[in-house]
Amino acid sequence: MQKVLGDFIHALRQAGLPISSAETLDGLRAAQLVGIDNAPLLKQSLGMTLAKCLENRLIFDQIFDQYFNSHSQFNTGDRATSETDANQAATARLSEPFSEAVNSLESPLAQQLINGDMAGMQVMIASAAGASGAQEVTFMTQVPMVSYRVMQALGDGALQQELAAMAEREESSAILSILQQRRARLQQQVRDYLEQQYLVLNQNEPNKRREGNLQKISLTSIDQRNYKLMGELVRQAAKRLASMHSRRRRITRRGLLDVRRTITANAAYDGFLFHTKWKSTRIERPKVMVLCDVSGSVSKVARFLLLFLYSLQDVLPNVRSFVFSSYMAEVTKLFEEQDMEQGLAEVLHNWGNKPTNYGKALSDFETMALADIDNRTTVIMLGDARNNNEDGNIALWEEIYRRSQRVLWLNPEGQVNWDSGDSIMSKYAAYCSHVETCNSLRDLNRILGSVLKHEA
Amino acid sequence: MIIRNQDKINSPDTIKQQFEALGYICSDAIATSVYLACHLQKPILVEGPPGVGKTELAKKTSDLLSAPLIRMQCYEGLDEAKALYEWKYGKQLLYTQLLKDQLGDVMRGAKGLDESVSRLHQFGDIFYSDEFLEPRPLLEALRTEDGAVLLIDEIDKADQEFEAFLLELLSDYQISIPELGTVKAQSKPLVFLTSNNTRELSDALKRRCLHLYIPFPSKAIEQKIITAQVPELNDKLKHQLVEFISELRDMSLKKVPAVSETIDWARALLLLNVDNLDHEWVKTTLNLLLKFQDDIEAVEPEIHNLLKVATKGS
Repeated sequence: MQKVLGDFIHALRQAGLPISSAETLDGLRAAQLVGIDNAPLLKQSLGMTLAKCLENRLIFDQIFDQYFNSHSQFNTGDRATSETDANQAATARLSEPFSEAVNSLESPLAQQLINGDMAGMQVMIASAAGASGAQEVTFMTQVPMVSYRVMQALGDGALQQELAAMAEREESSAILSILQQRRARLQQQVRDYLEQQYLVLNQNEPNKRREGNLQKISLTSIDQRNYKLMGELVRQAAKRLASMHSRRRRITRRGLLDVRRTITANAAYDGFLFHTKWKSTRIERPKVMVLCDVSGSVSKVARFLLLFLYSLQDVLPNVRSFVFSSYMAEVTKLFEEQDMEQGLAEVLHNWGNKPTNYGKALSDFETMALADIDNRTTVIMLGDARNNNEDGNIALWEEIYRRSQRVLWLNPEGQVNWDSGDSIMSKYAAYCSHVETCNSLRDLNRILGSVLKHEA
Repeated sequence: MIIRNQDKINSPDTIKQQFEALGYICSDAIATSVYLACHLQKPILVEGPPGVGKTELAKKTSDLLSAPLIRMQCYEGLDEAKALYEWKYGKQLLYTQLLKDQLGDVMRGAKGLDESVSRLHQFGDIFYSDEFLEPRPLLEALRTEDGAVLLIDEIDKADQEFEAFLLELLSDYQISIPELGTVKAQSKPLVFLTSNNTRELSDALKRRCLHLYIPFPSKAIEQKIITAQVPELNDKLKHQLVEFISELRDMSLKKVPAVSETIDWARALLLLNVDNLDHEWVKTTLNLLLKFQDDIEAVEPEIHNLLKVATKGS
């Protein structure tokens, strides 16, 4: 049972469930407690010990069904045998005249094949497969090689020698043909088993590799088909950031005196108050305003910037979102009301792919939100500062910088391209706390992680 | 606690029946989780939408095991002085004042500072002893002799620091008090943690718990729940009610009605002597089911259609 559960947990980990060894032990104990006869009960028990959120539970359920269906053939050996009963009878009839020949079969595999013990055979395949490294099959193309190894482990070498010898002797051709036929079937079984194992254990491996690559790849060069996966990754990243940093409490050295705690702390000094304790613990929640450029020049990355904007607003309590190309609009409400796909589509439709005018956009921002910026606000600008040679309204940007706690400019273009053509990055950069190139999900993670950490 | 009630919890089915006898109708998953928690002695983390009976589960389990229920409501800023223990500082101060006078007697005849100090040492550290300890819910749960059911309600409302502080309790059933040392559980309590998912709980916490997600109940179970809670209601109305609620849950509302709202509604209809669900009654009692004006406005024009589906079977 340990082996079966161990493999099952391996399969779960491949599917992305974070299962620790302590949880593995819990799972084993639960399985011992409820027994393995009652499948629904086992499924619930294992689900509770191994999957710790609803999302993981759904994956768990799916893999449980897959995995234990492929294994159930071991448990239901009876059915397998009854199917072969007919075969066995045929063998019996056939082999009577050749009973001597049957008895004289030397290699153990040949005897087993003649006996036709299917259930026993399956168990042997499983253990031989375990021994010859079926778990390590990571590519489909490795299956033939491993299946050869499994056949060898089952004793195929001796069998083949014997078959060759029998073929030379030419006396037991009936048995020979039966044996050859069964050997072929065995080979097929081994291959089937290995392929099934490969599918259960590895179907998520390519996905994992792709996710790893997507983290690094530059936002401009992601093709359409990866959009969906990317969206999921962005969401995860935003959630992680938010749960790490959204609540940070700071114990202040001022405010109301906490009499209880002060007296408790000073009881040792005969009630003289040496150490003061204060009541108020201020809860710091970052107030964030994000301005996102969705104009033509950044059209390729705009979607991802928006995606991140949307996710951030979803998980952080105090985010106000603005988008602009030549004029600016607040989309906080829109993001709140619409789901992700719809919201993004609407924003891109209404404001996307138009020529940029930073000056105009910033003056819109002035009327909408400048008054709300205080010394606890972080302003994040996502844009390339390509202003089509218009007036950039730098003075206003300076005003924003002066009022806020921190101003961050994330530019999707590499640093070499800044100030080339119509980009006026360096003018804005003078009034930013950080200016960074943000060209991949990893950049985004790193930058915002450090920003939010310094918040407290 | 576990051994005493062995016969009540010897299989998930038994637990389910016992719960039913107590008026708590539950799914197999819930019964299995309680069974595992009792036998593996692990805490259960219960998640699910508000109003599906997360807190009720802990209450009924305490009834089932006839163990005291110790409840701790979490909130932002909860700290160990409120959750675990505090020193009775008033008593401490009073005693220092009283003992000051005694001190002269104790010290009488002592020669030199060394001897006085060594005499003082003989008394031990009385001020930081059990006598002066004010137990809070967590400590109380550990000190209950025959085991208790500890309900840590809405753990997601507490701060992350507090969550970390719970880890020792949840995995080893012990807590450390710096002045006293480690306090081990006399008899391991059965711990329920509930969460409404307002924030992600840490992996360390999740790892130590069994995870139970309670979804909205199926129609059959919900009917049984109403039968158990409002037995006077007639079958036809009960059927209509459950169908109507289940239709509502399929709509995209800000807050869909949960089981507790269904029960409230059933009670209200009983009180109003309604025996058939019709447009007028639904409209007047809708505010029992829906808690947002936006939702009520969204549902009102749909009542007719919803009713048509709900009353189809009857």
